[in-house]
Amino acid sequence: MSSGEIPPISCAVEGVVDETVLKRLAIETGIKIGTVYGKNGKSYLEKRIEGFNNAAKHSPWIVLIDLDRDAECAPPLREKWLPSPAIHMYFRIAVRAVGAWLLADIEKIADFLCVPQSSIPSHPEELEDPKSQLIDIAARSRKQIIRQEMVPRPNSGVKVGPGYTSLLIEYIQERWRPSIAAQQAPSLNSCIKRLRMIPYNSGF
Amino acid sequence: MRESTASAFRFTHLYLENWRNFTKVDVDLQKRAFLIGPNASGKSNLLDAFRFLRDIVSIGGGFQAAVGRRGGVKPLRCLAARRNSDIVIGARIGNNECPSAWEYEIRFSQDKQSLPAIVKECVRKNGRDLLLRPNREDKADPQRLTQTYLEQINVNKAFRDIAEFFNSVRYLHIVPQLVRDPGRSVGRQDDPYGGDFLEQIAKTNNKTQKTWLKKVEKALKIAVPQFEQIEFERDPVRGTPHLKVKYTHWRPHGAWQKEDQFSDGTLRLLGLLWAILEKSGPLLLEEPELSLHTKIVRHLPQMFWRMQMRSGRQIILSTHSSELLSEEGIALDEVLLLIPHPEGTKVRLARDIQEILHLVQGGIPLGEAVIPHTAPENHFQMSLFEG
Repeated sequence: MSSGEIPPISCAVEGVVDETVLKRLAIETGIKIGTVYGKNGKSYLEKRIEGFNNAAKHSPWIVLIDLDRDAECAPPLREKWLPSPAIHMYFRIAVRAVGAWLLADIEKIADFLCVPQSSIPSHPEELEDPKSQLIDIAARSRKQIIRQEMVPRPNSGVKVGPGYTSLLIEYIQERWRPSIAAQQAPSLNSCIKRLRMIPYNSGF
Repeated sequence: MRESTASAFRFTHLYLENWRNFTKVDVDLQKRAFLIGPNASGKSNLLDAFRFLRDIVSIGGGFQAAVGRRGGVKPLRCLAARRNSDIVIGARIGNNECPSAWEYEIRFSQDKQSLPAIVKECVRKNGRDLLLRPNREDKADPQRLTQTYLEQINVNKAFRDIAEFFNSVRYLHIVPQLVRDPGRSVGRQDDPYGGDFLEQIAKTNNKTQKTWLKKVEKALKIAVPQFEQIEFERDPVRGTPHLKVKYTHWRPHGAWQKEDQFSDGTLRLLGLLWAILEKSGPLLLEEPELSLHTKIVRHLPQMFWRMQMRSGRQIILSTHSSELLSEEGIALDEVLLLIPHPEGTKVRLARDIQEILHLVQGGIPLGEAVIPHTAPENHFQMSLFEG
């Protein structure tokens, strides 16, 4: 590949919030995100991972998924999904979910949700279910509007409130500091390190 | 961040009997309601119940006109209804704190001359009857039952709030061809199909018009590639209003196009964004996903929610799009499934269908869980159609 400007990198994610996180990380690491695939949940990605891997033989690809409770830690899940990753495949797993990365910037998330910093867990990657933790924290917000947007109404049958997605997008784009969050979230830290390598490994 | 407007009034409950496709509907409504169902299951007809209430109180409207515009009592009555049974539309209006602040019910049929006649009209405020017809005067003069009290300014003072609320209902189903060629709907006002869309923009006061066009421009820049700028102008000779859009282009100053050259998707999105900016009563939308890219459609529910946080405005829409329903913040009591049945279409909340509840709780996107419930049973035979 010839050196010069870095071409946009294709990626696949579970949902819109993950896409926003990846685009924020791209700014942080000096890469450019191109076409975004997926956004239909995790099982959608799992069924198509071989296709993404095939494309990654030819140009860089990022696939970002949540570990959830699918395995104890990231390596066995990586082995299950992608036993032989292609040369340009950057397969990243958030422990246990991208929500933990967002909680890891303790000062900003506390400020954004209007809760005391002491209510934010200091080791978010140890949480079993960071997303529901995020909702529980928002439920204790001093601001009614945060509770209305983030927390589902009783009997609504869903896990998040009506404004959850747009509020998190706002937080990620305008407040969240990946480099600070990386200090509390090892899987984010290694993801940032790997993304920084893309231009060198790809020979741009 | 925006202020909460949770207290704004909305339709909190709808009750129908023998209205078009439905023998009976009895359903709660949230701030957003998503109507899904197969073709001809009655999505538009359910929306039409709200439009009917608006027609009763609108200028140039009234009960007789509202029924007349729909072809009379007979075509309105559900085919599955028993002979000569009454048609009923009932609505509760309120907010989360007080869901039944107001109740309105109208029950009607036709008289011996096949003219629409009111059988019952009832208004309740906080559970207390303010009006119950037929009253003594109606019995003395049955002719009075050709008009509702709601539409008459001289008798509706005690419950004019409801009349004003019904009058604030807005229905939108932009037909791009009508926007491009407004000559087809000359003289129409508040045309839901967009015939006077440009006139409506023209009528907005200058400052608001500028601010709103800037907001629309910002959204269109995201959705429409190469889109750069939007401006409103009047034809200097004929005075007709026009929108023009600038696209980035190989020419250094870009290229301007007038609305007659806009794509269907651009026009529909324009209409949708404009309607959202208006701070009015409940907004009824037919398939807002039409002509739009699926990735844009996916963000509509969040867009609507943000609008509601600002204006408190209720939104009731019909859709066939599983993309639109894939937004994870859509609650299961916001989704109404219309399921056709020989005894009339049934309306059920997604929350009350156990299977959907279990699927969504297991992580399946809502769209994927509900759309199969609305597919026609033998849809696969469509591919055998030969003509």
